[in-house]
Amino acid sequence: MIIVIGAGPAGLAAAEAASRNGSEVALIDSASRLGGQYWRHRSTVTGYRSNRADLLFAKVKSAASITYISEATVWSIERDGELIRVNYLQGGSESSLTAEKLILATGAYDRSLPFPGWDQPGSMTPGAAQALLKGHGILAGQSVVVAGTGPFLLPVATGLAQAGAKVVGLYEAHSPLRWLLSPQALLLNVSKFAELIYYAGLIRKYRMAPRFGRVVSRFDKGQVTITSVNSSFALKRKRALTFEVDVVAVGWGFSPDLTLGGIVGCKERVDVDGTTIFEVDGDQLSSQKNVWIAGEATGIGGADLSLLEGEIAGLSASSQKISSILRFARFRKQVFADALKCSYPVKDGWRSWAEKSTTICRCEEVSLGEIEESVAELGAEDSRTAKLFTRAGMGLCQGRICSRNVSEIVAGLTKCSVTDEERIASSNRPIAAPIALGLLGDGKK
Amino acid sequence: MSKQISFTFNGVAVQCEEGQSIAAAVINSGTLALRKTRFGEEPRSIFCGIGICFDCVVVVDGVANQRSCLIEAKADMNIESSS
Repeated sequence: MIIVIGAGPAGLAAAEAASRNGSEVALIDSASRLGGQYWRHRSTVTGYRSNRADLLFAKVKSAASITYISEATVWSIERDGELIRVNYLQGGSESSLTAEKLILATGAYDRSLPFPGWDQPGSMTPGAAQALLKGHGILAGQSVVVAGTGPFLLPVATGLAQAGAKVVGLYEAHSPLRWLLSPQALLLNVSKFAELIYYAGLIRKYRMAPRFGRVVSRFDKGQVTITSVNSSFALKRKRALTFEVDVVAVGWGFSPDLTLGGIVGCKERVDVDGTTIFEVDGDQLSSQKNVWIAGEATGIGGADLSLLEGEIAGLSASSQKISSILRFARFRKQVFADALKCSYPVKDGWRSWAEKSTTICRCEEVSLGEIEESVAELGAEDSRTAKLFTRAGMGLCQGRICSRNVSEIVAGLTKCSVTDEERIASSNRPIAAPIALGLLGDGKK
Repeated sequence: MSKQISFTFNGVAVQCEEGQSIAAAVINSGTLALRKTRFGEEPRSIFCGIGICFDCVVVVDGVANQRSCLIEAKADMNIESSS
């Protein structure tokens, strides 16, 4: 049997591909519906080329050899001789499943950067605004500012406008001209122009005016401040605009969820954009025997790339042939993904947005001032020591939101750069989801 | 039209559609803040929306630290803000 964890584009493609030769597949996901974050929906999937989702859902649901286990949160994975055991929580009780092979397709979440007021109600990630709308049918607010960097801002802003929200501002921190750095990526992915035209049409229809080189620099009780930035993200204080808005949805690309692969011991590396990802070979096989990884956890690349990686992982895990056409398709999307990383990098200037009182670690309520003090007065020379002094990154989210930011802030204060070892160490977590001790003692273990 | 259900949030009745998350239902009822922080007693609401950040945790029928963005609201649930 093959266990696939994650039912987003990569996991769905992996399960479908593996089932083509009748291989037994268990598809485990924490949500109640197929689709993951990208194809999140209530009744039907909407958005650009959403028919791809419907096709995959139908194939996965009708495949006799795929068992779909929904609303199951995997909290640990262990080896049992040649077998792999996946432990999960479902409806308040613990279960486990064993298989010879494992495919991880755990996806990613929005990367956030701290600015004054980013912890106030009404400030959220674009993914949160999207999840509330697509998953639950509600608008986070009547008026919304969508900001940050990267192409994901477009589906979020246009989706909110289509649902009736007033998108009062759409702010991209970078210049659109940065795409000229990567002409080869555009030439290899001409279809991307169609996607851009699709969103441009919606932006025109809802009379949004996208502005470039601007960021949300403050949010305070419904007042947002938009400030121009230079190419390294330093604020140009004289060019600021303040107005009222219900919600600011700000996102800076994505962080892959590495927890489960980390528990299995899959080798990680640091991507060109400083993101920690898993190292995989041409068949999406990780450093660990019989463990494949597909999608965002092997490098942020979007749904198109995730689908192809998932298909290759599924074919490889079920010992089917992988065509060179499929490998070339993945190569084209990888070139595009790398161009995205070059076009929308998160520049160091963000470290000057926070003030001394600005929260950096949301869980443990650690401010920038406390982190600065741990370096200047307590002698912390690296982020690990600063975290021990301040508790930054030690709260319920286990540093998923702040640990990369804390590492980069401490590096800035100590005038060092963050080492690859530090980036990899700060992305590992001992358990994937909180679990009650009582459940652990419950018979099975 | 989905089935309407009702639960309480800090003692106040909240109506929502079956299948909506606790956070979505409370925010849709007009209350943005889901809890106050332990030290600074600052209001917090939904942030990542997908179960990563734990900022929206509430007490669900006496069980603390439950992510309200992930848990579906069920009829007659008793939800309290964490403190």
